[in-house]
Amino acid sequence: MASQVIREWSGINTFAPATQTKLFELLGKLKIENVNTLTILVMGKGGVGKSSTVNSLIGERAVSISPFQSEGTRPVMVSRSRAGFTLNVIDTPGLIEGGYINDMALNNIKSFLLNKTIDVLLYVDRLDSYRVDNLDREVVKAITDSLGKAIWNRALVVLTHAQLSPPDGLPYDEFFSKRSEALIRALRLGAGLKKHDMQGSAIPVVLVENSGRCNKNENEEKILPTGTPWISHLVQIITEVALNGSKSIVVDKKLIEGPNPNDRGKILIPIFLAFQYFFAIKPIEWAIRGDIAQESRPSWETRDTSMVSRRF
Amino acid sequence: MPVFASAPAHLRTPIRLPSSFTSRPELPNISATSSAPQRSSSRKCQLSYSSSSSAPSQNPEPLKLEALSPILKNLPKVIATSSAIVIVFNLGSHLFSCNGAGGGGGGGGNGFGGGGGGGGGDGGSFWRRFFAPAAMADESQNQEWDSHGLPANIVVQLNKLSGFKKYRVSDIFFLDRRRGVIVGPEDSFFEMVSLRPDGVYTKAQLQKELETLATCGMFEKVDMEGKTNPDGSIGVTISFTESTWQSADKFRCINVGLLPQTKPIEMDPDMTEKEKLEYFKNQEKDYKRRIDRARPCLLPMPVYNEVLQMLRDQGKVSARLLQRIRDRVQKWYHDEGYACAQVVNFGNLNTKEVVCEVVEGDITQLVIQFQDKLGNVVEGNTQIPVVKRELPRQLRPSYVFNIEAGKQALRNINSLALFSNIEVNPRPDEKVDGGIIVEIKLKELEQKTAEVSTEWSIVPGRGGYPTLASLQPGGTVTFEHRNIKGLNRSILGSVTTSNFVNPQDDLAFKLEYVHPYLDGVYNPRNRTLRVSCFNSRKLSPVFTGGPGVDEVPPIWVDRAGAKANITENFTRQSKFTYGLVMEEITTRDESSHICPNGQRVLPSGGVTVDGPPTTLSGTGIDRMAFLQANITRDNTKFVNGTIVGQRNVFQVDQGLGVGSNFPFFNRHQLTLTRFFQLKEVEEGAGKPPPPVLVLHGHYGGCVGDLPSYDAFTLGGPYSVRGYNMGEIGAARNILELAAELRIPVRGTHVYAFAEHGNDLGSSKDVKGNPTEVYRRMGKGSSYGCGVKLGLVRAEYAVDHNSGTGALFFRFGERF
Repeated sequence: MASQVIREWSGINTFAPATQTKLFELLGKLKIENVNTLTILVMGKGGVGKSSTVNSLIGERAVSISPFQSEGTRPVMVSRSRAGFTLNVIDTPGLIEGGYINDMALNNIKSFLLNKTIDVLLYVDRLDSYRVDNLDREVVKAITDSLGKAIWNRALVVLTHAQLSPPDGLPYDEFFSKRSEALIRALRLGAGLKKHDMQGSAIPVVLVENSGRCNKNENEEKILPTGTPWISHLVQIITEVALNGSKSIVVDKKLIEGPNPNDRGKILIPIFLAFQYFFAIKPIEWAIRGDIAQESRPSWETRDTSMVSRRF
Repeated sequence: MPVFASAPAHLRTPIRLPSSFTSRPELPNISATSSAPQRSSSRKCQLSYSSSSSAPSQNPEPLKLEALSPILKNLPKVIATSSAIVIVFNLGSHLFSCNGAGGGGGGGGNGFGGGGGGGGGDGGSFWRRFFAPAAMADESQNQEWDSHGLPANIVVQLNKLSGFKKYRVSDIFFLDRRRGVIVGPEDSFFEMVSLRPDGVYTKAQLQKELETLATCGMFEKVDMEGKTNPDGSIGVTISFTESTWQSADKFRCINVGLLPQTKPIEMDPDMTEKEKLEYFKNQEKDYKRRIDRARPCLLPMPVYNEVLQMLRDQGKVSARLLQRIRDRVQKWYHDEGYACAQVVNFGNLNTKEVVCEVVEGDITQLVIQFQDKLGNVVEGNTQIPVVKRELPRQLRPSYVFNIEAGKQALRNINSLALFSNIEVNPRPDEKVDGGIIVEIKLKELEQKTAEVSTEWSIVPGRGGYPTLASLQPGGTVTFEHRNIKGLNRSILGSVTTSNFVNPQDDLAFKLEYVHPYLDGVYNPRNRTLRVSCFNSRKLSPVFTGGPGVDEVPPIWVDRAGAKANITENFTRQSKFTYGLVMEEITTRDESSHICPNGQRVLPSGGVTVDGPPTTLSGTGIDRMAFLQANITRDNTKFVNGTIVGQRNVFQVDQGLGVGSNFPFFNRHQLTLTRFFQLKEVEEGAGKPPPPVLVLHGHYGGCVGDLPSYDAFTLGGPYSVRGYNMGEIGAARNILELAAELRIPVRGTHVYAFAEHGNDLGSSKDVKGNPTEVYRRMGKGSSYGCGVKLGLVRAEYAVDHNSGTGALFFRFGERF
């Protein structure tokens, strides 16, 4: 899959002209910054619309979507190039299966990502799920454990199914901000991020509507209920993140397996040994000598009956 | 049958009176034949006693030392001392019973018969001798006896009896003439008479008895008369007047052992008065010198005071009082284990000071001899210093022989495991009077032994029927070469397999060389070098499923290698061991194939082999060399059968960076166990043991390379009870805490416990995180209670993680 021939990004032509203009503008911006390749990793729970988002982004049916069943456990990379610029999008299987983290899928993702550079992570979730629970935190934790904390510097949260009418007549903006706030909080908790871990601004949140019945504006661009054309907005945010100054994540063995616990503190072993000698072995030895001194001996042993020591 | 006997025959020793120098009597000769004369058991110190003289006012009184009775002289063999102590320790059984002085007569005798060895023989004769009087009386009961042929109920003087008749004595009365009462058998004098009711005696025997009584010095006057009974037997009445001397207010106890005997000058009956006076004066002077040269006794102040109190209470010094003093003094000695000590004489009577002469039993010589199977003295293979260093100082010459020191020597020598039979045997020194030679007789074990034990295992074949193909010959071959060069060095090898036809399946071998006395046999430092080759196969507890996880495919860890270590023993239980271990570790799956990774069962039911790595190298085979040190402090002791005290163990394995992937690590563990005695109890056999609270903590940690087979596991009968081995987790650092309360109940104990094991969050620091892969918690507690049934612990433990309890039966102790 990785050796797959890089095809011409023809899907871009299917976008509305206004979007196309915007995209070319952004790609040009990237080229100016000397970025010729952009690798986007898409992760998230199962059934949140990861593959659809990928397809929307590429502009063609690059990856199969499986709406009612869990997809395969293999990640897929789609590569498209246009005018000397290569876009790689890695679509991954859902990390949750049956209420647990799918170790198998996680391992597959890890081995798939080995020796690749990830520029942007798209963490995908639905806008229309109302609750943030432990499972979200678990997923975030699994991602952090696999790719390290630094990945979140190059991450953006994508909320799909953006075209909805919020419950209880809540204003759309308020619902969106509440939802994203809760999700970001869970994300911070799950990733164990602290304020100073984050370089620059917080993780951006982008709304996406992959449905074909998505509203369009006068320029035939797909728009969100707020009126923003979302594809160009998404690409714009991706560009921003790609250019936010933090380093891309190079996935190597060390990163996947975490820091090798066998190497931790190795250099201190001589000190440990010296400490053990003086503060464990020696005190026990003294205690033994104390025991010998205190040992209660039978009277015949203490009574010195030797003629040599007795007065004649 | 091991028997330990100590019987003071001299209980029956008459006190020789009156004071003055008397040469110490020879240690009595003991006959090995059953025809020993009745009185042979008591010391013969025949002093001619002038019963005609008035109350002894003179000091010293004239006396004559009579030769030992000719019968005794003709006795064939001198065998043991008057206080014969024979310690026989037979390795056959590790019992150590003690027959106290005069305790359990016949039973003890029988026990000795089975004692085996030369010591047993000695003891046998000794017992026979000791019980000779009773035995004689028994024998004579069966004899014919003659009627006295006189009218009934008349009093007959002893000399009026017929010399040809055998008289049956129906009963014996003692008449204290001074007090005018008949004394009962509880009186101390009673033991001095060897006549027994219903015995049959001739006139000569009766006369001899009377003579003995008259000469023993206890009585001023003794008479014996008979009273005829209607049935032809006679009743004997012994009437006596006790000797008394003037009151004393000082008491002195001296050790006259090893003092050269002063030769008595025969008193010429034709001496003039002046010569006689001169003679007495000389004797008095001699005695004074003797006292001065004598050494002070071991007798402690309290006993001195006790005796002084006795003297003060009594007023006049009487024979009975002296007997009581003798008993008191001797009792102290024997209670303290100085079994060879005895009061031999009271001197300086009729002065203000009573001098008690004691032979304490000074050791003059220590003899170590080896015997062959037949009991002949042979030149042993074992070097003498090896035995000597095990002996307590108190058995060396110039010390007073103590039976406890003898027992200690016995135990120490036994712990060498070189001898099949050990005897520690004090015998009188014939050259030095009052000296004791301690003889240690040893029978060596065979140096080279080889053993083959076989077993056939029939494995059920198809259909449950054993087939010929499934018959497997298995067993163990062991060889041992002990006591090389006589320095207790040994080589031991063993090979075990369950199938000799196909030994590569599971061949367990061990070859060990042990080299004690590394610093030289004369050096008190006790270090032992051990070099061994070994292999072992164990099921890894790291690859175990947590609760609710079905069967995790097992991983076997095979270790083969060599190690050399030095053990320094500080005490019997505390020691320090350090050495080098080199080993090859191979991890295998169920079918004995080498596997580099653990397996796991997928939710779909499939099995993958991408589990946690089993080895450091990732190939399934690791080689490593590391230093190992272990220091154990153990001051636990048994209080009425329950263990009390504390045990601390620290162990460190220091990797050297030599081996696959250059393993460099520091793996350490500290174990602290304390047994608190919750109630003070009286110590002694049969007393109830105290309740005990056991607190236990175990910390294990590792820095550096940690292969999974070296990870610390939690759970199991020796970790956290109520869980399976490794059920809680496998981690880099662990902490276990346990508390157990033991309450004694009817000779055993019941206990309640609570335990906790925690991985301290370090499970993830083990490569591959086997704790998480096999869905284990990483921490867990349990509690429960149980009862000890002999060697088996039956306990009900509740596992706190799943909240379920189960009943377990385990061998051995948890702590």
